[in-house]
Amino acid sequence: MRKTLLGLLGTCFLLLGLASPALAFEPVNVVHTEKVQAGPYNLTVGFSTWPVKAMQSLDFTFAPEDGIAGKKGTLTMVPAHGEPDDTPLARHPRKRDVWGLDIHALPEPGTWTFRFDISGPAGPASGELRNLQVMEQPGPPMGLSWAISTIPLFGLIGLIVVAWRRTRVNSN
Amino acid sequence: MAIAATTTTQARFVVPRGLVPASFVLGGTLLSLIGLTWDIQWHSDVGPDTFFTMPHLFLYTGSALSGIASLAVVLITTANAKRDKAIDPIVGGRAVGVFGRTFAAPVGYLISGTGAALFLVYGLWDQWWHGLYGFDAVIESPPHIGLLLSISITMVGTVMIFAVARDQRWGVYGVVATAAVLLVFSMVTVLGLRAVPDGLANPVAAGTAFTSVMILFMAAHALNRRGGALAVGLSVAVLQAVFWWFSPWAARVYADATGLPLRDYADGIPGLPYTIPMCLIVVAVAVELLHRLPAWIPGALGGALIAACVPLQAVLVYGAPFHPNGRYLATVVLSAAFGAGAALLGRRFGQMLRHLAPAKEDRHA
Repeated sequence: MRKTLLGLLGTCFLLLGLASPALAFEPVNVVHTEKVQAGPYNLTVGFSTWPVKAMQSLDFTFAPEDGIAGKKGTLTMVPAHGEPDDTPLARHPRKRDVWGLDIHALPEPGTWTFRFDISGPAGPASGELRNLQVMEQPGPPMGLSWAISTIPLFGLIGLIVVAWRRTRVNSN
Repeated sequence: MAIAATTTTQARFVVPRGLVPASFVLGGTLLSLIGLTWDIQWHSDVGPDTFFTMPHLFLYTGSALSGIASLAVVLITTANAKRDKAIDPIVGGRAVGVFGRTFAAPVGYLISGTGAALFLVYGLWDQWWHGLYGFDAVIESPPHIGLLLSISITMVGTVMIFAVARDQRWGVYGVVATAAVLLVFSMVTVLGLRAVPDGLANPVAAGTAFTSVMILFMAAHALNRRGGALAVGLSVAVLQAVFWWFSPWAARVYADATGLPLRDYADGIPGLPYTIPMCLIVVAVAVELLHRLPAWIPGALGGALIAACVPLQAVLVYGAPFHPNGRYLATVVLSAAFGAGAALLGRRFGQMLRHLAPAKEDRHA
């Protein structure tokens, strides 16, 4: 028993030791930009992947020409169909000098609109990035992905059915 | 007399047979749960992600620990079977043949180990998914739900392992603890129901009600003693309270340690503990008080109460507006029906768990 314990503990420490945290966070690589004029504010919208595909996550950056200091605002993402989603403009976690969304995916294909409501030293203003084309999702159909991912659930149900039948006589 | 006294003293320090590997598997599931609550909080409060963040390591180590402990028990049992040595079913239940008779696996450890093996397979599926879709931090993506279901299977196996020893104190405590861990973990798994198209009712609220009531009844009937449901309800409340403090704290400390800032507008509200129904303790008390009634009645009441309290919990924690409407009422009614079914299923699952050690059944009648 002592050997088993030592073996198990040793394996655990080995696993933890070999897999020491390698925290190398990816930089934000902007590969495409669009310009948005929100009143007096000239905004550059950056994308880390282009073209944008539904469900494929990427980094978005929103950079006013003269920086974000003294400014705040709201981003409203409007899909072709469905409810708009608004969020305060927050600094990108890996690029703190601009606003942004980190590893964010747009859930559905179609034509999207990003609306920016910004208030700053030059007063409040709004601007829109229109006709943002989001292509169809890559990869297999979602039905197939869900079928693969729920195999453990159906396996568990199968096990329950077997156990149910084997214990039925005894429980009655 | 002196010899007898010495023997008694020594007997006190004997570790009950089966407790050590069971504790390792339970410890693994606890690591998985801690990793999950930490990871969810990390993504909401801090953000940047790699394969080797500390919360991810907890998740991997949890499944590795449970899997290795399960494999060790299966190999030891197989070796004993090959040598025609007696196999004590208190260690994970009766041994069943795997791959013909290549392996002899105690059924509890077979299930917990299968869950850990599935975790590896779904880890590969998740890697492929991230390669295609990017490192999205969406908990309810298909591969994430596959991973969560795999860990849940390990947790189900852990409940079975302890249920086998339910006539011993460690077995009773273990069933309560493992059922609480499974219940808390399942509150995240049911978020996969967000993929169900929004209709007349809220599928996540109904799923939360169904799963909570089912696990509560399962544990209560596996133990078959008064206070079983209440003990699980209290254990869940303790986990909720501890994680309410731990999750934001761990995310903040880890961010400080890695030199990363908190997100702008991070609210610090604990993500995983928030998904646990705070009214579960009331449901557990109702299950205890109404134990003489048919199971579906307290089940339906519990299901309805849990679903009814979902938006109230949002009001309490987030200050969200609450407008009772037709969808809300439909969710409550649907959850009552699901709760009734969950109670009947849970009771039956509890009976099935009791059958894992039939030789000891007469001691509990």
